[in-house]
Amino acid sequence: MISVTPNTSNVESLDLANLTPEQTALEIRNLNLHYGDAQALHDISMNIPKNRVTAFIGPSGCGKSTLLRCINRMNDLVEICKVNGEIRLHDKNIYDKNVDVAELRRQVGMVFQRPNPFPKSIYENVVYGMRLQGVNDRRTLDEVVERSLKGAALWDEVKDRLNASAFGLSGGQQQRLVIARAIAIEPEVLLLDEPTSALDPISTLTIEELITELKEQYTVVIVTHNMQQAARVSDQTAFMYMGKLIEYADTNTLFTTPAQKQTEDYITGRYG
Amino acid sequence: MNKWFKSGKPYIWLTAGAVSVSLIAVLGLLALIAWRGLSFFWPAAIHEVEVQANDGSTRVIIGEVYDREEVPIARLQESGVTLEGFDGEFLERQLFKVGNREFVPLDFMWVMEPQIIRDETPADLAVLERSKDGNFYGYVVDVLENGESVATPENVRDVLFERIERAVDLNEQASDLQQGEIGAINYELNRLRLEARALDLEGKLTEAEKQRLAAEEEALNAQYKELEKELFAYREAASRDSVVMRDMRGMEVTVPMYRVLDATFPNDMGVLSKLGHFFVQIGKFVSEDPREANTEGGVFPAIFGTVFMVLLMSVIVTPFGVIAAVYLHEYAGKNAITRLIRIAVINLAGVPSIVYGVFGLGFFVYMVGGTLDQIFYPEALPSPTFGTPGVMWSAITLAILTLPVVIVSTEEGLSRIPSTLREGSLALGATKAETLWRIILPMASPAIMTGLILAVARAAGEVAPLMLVGVVKSAPMLPVDGNFPYFHLDRKFMHLGFHIYDVGFQSPNVEAARPLVYATSFLLVTVIVGLNLTAIGVRNHLREKYRSLEH
Repeated sequence: MISVTPNTSNVESLDLANLTPEQTALEIRNLNLHYGDAQALHDISMNIPKNRVTAFIGPSGCGKSTLLRCINRMNDLVEICKVNGEIRLHDKNIYDKNVDVAELRRQVGMVFQRPNPFPKSIYENVVYGMRLQGVNDRRTLDEVVERSLKGAALWDEVKDRLNASAFGLSGGQQQRLVIARAIAIEPEVLLLDEPTSALDPISTLTIEELITELKEQYTVVIVTHNMQQAARVSDQTAFMYMGKLIEYADTNTLFTTPAQKQTEDYITGRYG
Repeated sequence: MNKWFKSGKPYIWLTAGAVSVSLIAVLGLLALIAWRGLSFFWPAAIHEVEVQANDGSTRVIIGEVYDREEVPIARLQESGVTLEGFDGEFLERQLFKVGNREFVPLDFMWVMEPQIIRDETPADLAVLERSKDGNFYGYVVDVLENGESVATPENVRDVLFERIERAVDLNEQASDLQQGEIGAINYELNRLRLEARALDLEGKLTEAEKQRLAAEEEALNAQYKELEKELFAYREAASRDSVVMRDMRGMEVTVPMYRVLDATFPNDMGVLSKLGHFFVQIGKFVSEDPREANTEGGVFPAIFGTVFMVLLMSVIVTPFGVIAAVYLHEYAGKNAITRLIRIAVINLAGVPSIVYGVFGLGFFVYMVGGTLDQIFYPEALPSPTFGTPGVMWSAITLAILTLPVVIVSTEEGLSRIPSTLREGSLALGATKAETLWRIILPMASPAIMTGLILAVARAAGEVAPLMLVGVVKSAPMLPVDGNFPYFHLDRKFMHLGFHIYDVGFQSPNVEAARPLVYATSFLLVTVIVGLNLTAIGVRNHLREKYRSLEH
């Protein structure tokens, strides 16, 4: 049996079902998703609060990554994928026809399971998003690089070799570089898809500390298969199973007094 | 035995054997053509042999031993040669290159080994390399200036070398003048003629225009007269000297100095000076124009033509192939039609190259070229400008021939790029086109280079289609020169591959041409290897730069 220690950060708990508009970052309404004939997400509805860390947990294949990738429409890349329902950002459905997907992805950044730096220098990796927006002024870019790398707790390690290839960094550093790259364009929401699953324990710890700092400025949504991690870093946790949202509550509540039997079975390690 | 099979050792031997056979085949091929080709440039000893015929009469032969072979006596007797007093089945005979083409019926002679009664290599024997009639073998007797002797038997060699140098210098100046300034004037005159015709066609040839053109032509003609005088002066000066030689018949022959390119005394040379001469000859081979229907001289226009055509082809095929591959891989729907197109592209690579030649001739040369002529060059008709085989059509035809290679390897490269990189770029708000341009294409560039390497290797060796769309035995002008617009893509060109065919099979003097076939083959391989090594160097550089993460 796994013993889970919920984080002791004293964030006041929110009434997740009835958030005020100021508290809300994203609203997911009746979201269904099909891969061809197979339904991967069943009628998901939830509110994701601003400047908090929300974790999605659940066994492999439960749809937690799929749900995350819906939030910045990464699933558009999969041809057979069909989405019904709404995800509202600034009270506007991101699946509306007139939404500019590139613009949406600038507001909702994403970090993937494996570090995926571009084959460029550290500097060019960080400013990639800025250059896409047509910003080429050297001084602006320099400032962005310093701010982003500091924000990703990487500045001190790489400030002397900004023009070195990003491939020269260790896995943990690369993942922090990718986070720096994501926050360089100042998104509102940051999606983290199992960001530490390819990293060693020490790098994992660094990233986890970073996540706690990131929520000061960004709304963070993290998918993890590691329950301790969810308990350590998140403020509220959603447990998913077989494409359904089983329980969504304060992390403390969910891990200590789960309302559902399935949740309890999962967090006590009876399956999954 | 069974155990041995199970151990897997036979398969190791089998696979290693296959590798060894390929390696030996490649190295053997290279060694053979290198040896045969390069030994041609080594100064061979000149023999003076006395040959006694069956009737007892003797004669002297001076020349290089070119080849030797064992022939069955029975075969010789069948062909009507009467041989007496020889036993055994085989007889050795030697092939002498005796040169002096204008004085002997054949400049190659077979001599039966047993008939040779004296074989010497006197140090005084010289070989003169001439711009006409091939080599001259014999003894240097005297050097004449305006018909008067200017040398003594002691200093005849020094005087000879000095006078040859002068004549070669003058010839060079004359030919520079002819190809440079006089060539430019001819080009201008032709341009004026075409301009007049163009104005006439448009109905704008007024009296004023006529007068202007006539004045320009007049000026050019006046310039031409001046230059012609200069040219004749050079030629006059070059024909001042001549050299008197004694040939193998014992007769003294006067050879005009302006025909002599070089004189060597190979029997009197040490290894070092022979080596020096060897490299000088190789240098001449790659830098000079061919002479005597391609059987002598260098192959520079062919090297230039080959490299120029291949580069032009690369410039055409790379963007075209890459764009096609990007569409097929990134944008085209993953359905049956795309698969069909892909299969069609791969099958294009299997179409025999001569078919591309026929297509190029019919479509590009006659249709596209003919139309271009009618639209843009009506003044030159009926003589065609682009409606005739030329270097541009050759490059385009080979570009189509090599297109599948570039498409296939580019697609391969595109599919090898990890999807996480695409997602990473898209997640930062990049559009698909931006991702392609900034991430995917740079990372696929090593694969594109691989495609280009394969394309160059294939194109540089193609001859068959080129014979239909632009290659000629001898091109008077290179496709690049100093006359505006500098690149003349309508011109025909020479090609090393075709040169091999031409020298080997179309030459009037097969024996003389044989070593050139090997030398040219070796050169062609060297050029292709050179082009490939350059491309491989670029690719390795790119690979290092865009090394993707090892997952």
